[in-house]
Amino acid sequence: MFLKASFSIAPVLAGMLVTTGVAHAQENVVLEYWVYSDFAQGEALKLQQTFINEFVAKHPGVTINIAGKGDDDLLSGQIAGAASGTGPDVFMNSTSAGSSLVEAGALKNIYAEWMATPESFRAQFNKDLIAMCTPKPETMYCIPYTGYGSLMFRNLTVLEKAGVDTKAPIRDWADWLSQMEKVKASGKYGVPDMAQNWASFLNIYSGVAEASEWGADFDTKKTLINPEKYAKAADFLQKLKPFSTGTNVNDQATRDLFISNELAFYVNGPWVNPPLEQAAKASGLKYDWVMVPGATEGKKAGVQGYEFIGVAPKANAKLAFEFAAFVTEKQQMIRWAAALGRYNSNVESLADPSVSGNPLLAATAQSARTALYNKPPFFLGTFPNSYWSAITDNASAVADGQMTPDEAAADLVEELNEILADD
Amino acid sequence: MSSKTTRSIAHYLMLSPFMLLFAVFFLYPIVSGFFYSFFEWNAAQSSQFVGLANYTKVFTSRSFEKATWNLLVYVSITVPLGIFVALGLALLVDSFSGFWAKFFRSAFFIPVVMPLFLAATIWRWIYAPNFGLMNTVLSWFGMPSVQFLTDTGTMLYAMIAVDIWVSAGFNMVILLAGLKNVPRHYYEAARLDGASTFQQIVHVTLPSIRPVLFFVITYGLISALQVFDIPWLLTGSSFAEYGGRANTLLFPVMDMMGRGFGSVRFGQASAYGFMLTILIVCVTAVMFALRKRFGDA
Repeated sequence: MFLKASFSIAPVLAGMLVTTGVAHAQENVVLEYWVYSDFAQGEALKLQQTFINEFVAKHPGVTINIAGKGDDDLLSGQIAGAASGTGPDVFMNSTSAGSSLVEAGALKNIYAEWMATPESFRAQFNKDLIAMCTPKPETMYCIPYTGYGSLMFRNLTVLEKAGVDTKAPIRDWADWLSQMEKVKASGKYGVPDMAQNWASFLNIYSGVAEASEWGADFDTKKTLINPEKYAKAADFLQKLKPFSTGTNVNDQATRDLFISNELAFYVNGPWVNPPLEQAAKASGLKYDWVMVPGATEGKKAGVQGYEFIGVAPKANAKLAFEFAAFVTEKQQMIRWAAALGRYNSNVESLADPSVSGNPLLAATAQSARTALYNKPPFFLGTFPNSYWSAITDNASAVADGQMTPDEAAADLVEELNEILADD
Repeated sequence: MSSKTTRSIAHYLMLSPFMLLFAVFFLYPIVSGFFYSFFEWNAAQSSQFVGLANYTKVFTSRSFEKATWNLLVYVSITVPLGIFVALGLALLVDSFSGFWAKFFRSAFFIPVVMPLFLAATIWRWIYAPNFGLMNTVLSWFGMPSVQFLTDTGTMLYAMIAVDIWVSAGFNMVILLAGLKNVPRHYYEAARLDGASTFQQIVHVTLPSIRPVLFFVITYGLISALQVFDIPWLLTGSSFAEYGGRANTLLFPVMDMMGRGFGSVRFGQASAYGFMLTILIVCVTAVMFALRKRFGDA
């Protein structure tokens, strides 16, 4: 595998080296590479270290230090590092944090370097995501890297005990609610509280809304949320309330309830699968995953988000770009997806037979085809910090019955527009 | 050059490493923070002087009003209650000797050394609606489930309970050290005069540990004014979304961090930080003035 990977990427890298006119073989250079903490643990770290070793083998004198960081540490470190010049050379982050990083000057415009790579390399990536990384002509801030599409994990023991036919697909929200009624009657919980954070709310709202009805327009300073669709989602949140655990989807308690056969549905990203898989081996947890149901038959809900790899505008930027291009290249992404079952932005890698057969990856890819982007638009404007809180506050209030769905929708749109205008 | 001057130069030279580090790591950040509070600055582009606009923007924002009110309520409850609990624990531990004294002292100190992330995870489980420990106990008495961390009427008090649980052990150890220094014959004299246990605490213990109490109260106030980590973790906050439902657990340091690293408004964050610093300095000055007025003992 290693030889195959090395040979197949060789022309790409050679092309890049020739076209960018950079050769770093003799230099003693240290690149600081910051990743999300789950990329710097266990199998993921081993694979990342393998990529680093392969790159270093072709670039004698180069040292790459990988460091895993939590979400907030990653963002604050990159912003503070941009100001002080002490930040990483090459790093990951979420596209939803892209604008903040651009504003802070943490991301180099890599358009020239990108265009200097071979066409065969550029064609490997999801075109929508390349467009996302290129918010303006000749301005490119990132190479799309990994990603996710949300899924609904189902506890089959809970559902079977409640008398739900788990082989029949969930048609729509009404069907989903009827299954939850059976679950509740059997003394178990249906879902976590889907109004407690913006992502779980979006998993509901996306069941009725289209991509153009989420996010904000920074030119007009208006939210794109459609109040009628929001009211429908809010109405459904009220209907979900009696079946809810009352806990946030990200709470350890929620996961524990699912694992201990107390919770039927658990809507989250594919990253929750490893502990569930472990529980299946250790305690016999019976579960599967399906698409998040939409309001009507045929409509699927879900959230998709992406991580990118960016380069800091520092002295070693060209070498950092080469490394970024190397780790996102097809052969590395094939190994990444095959070993970890993780979705990514390199569509050619996802089509590889060693990857496309992975059921979790296939489901994630299917989810990503219809799911709404998490916090669009990317790289174009920074959302004021109260924007997302306003959505969850409103959704929670309406779920608790403090407002009618129509009142809530009108209030929310007015509030979000005020927040955007005040910024 | 006289020997006195030579000695002084030597002393200054010996002090210089500290002074240098103090200047770099304390004075410079404070001065530069104050400087940037008058500028629109996003860390990348050159800063632009905006006068007092950052202060006005922060001062007139809804989040500032909410965070300040939350802070006021929080400080007015958590500092006296926290010290009361810590004093109670200290008196309890002081009443034991040998193994049990060591056992309780260690047991009450465990939350202090426990990583806050772990403590918050445990408390999120305890507070979980329907099936959490607290709600299970409430259900034994036929009481309905309480959403401790999402009901705006209970969130602040639930967080104060966690805060006191975390900090009581530290304050207990400080107060215990003070209690150990109270001469035992004071109590014997009080008992001979017929003083009850409560009277002994009020008339002997508290006056004797006044300097320690001053430290605990002042330290508690300064810490409380900078509250950040516990509400941040209990509400599962991030730079994009923080403060919990309806900003019930939004506090000034959280708001400042969000403006800085969430919205990349470092000028506003600096202004916020400077206002908070002034508040803390004023509160500390008042504490010292009160100490001077009423004395140590």
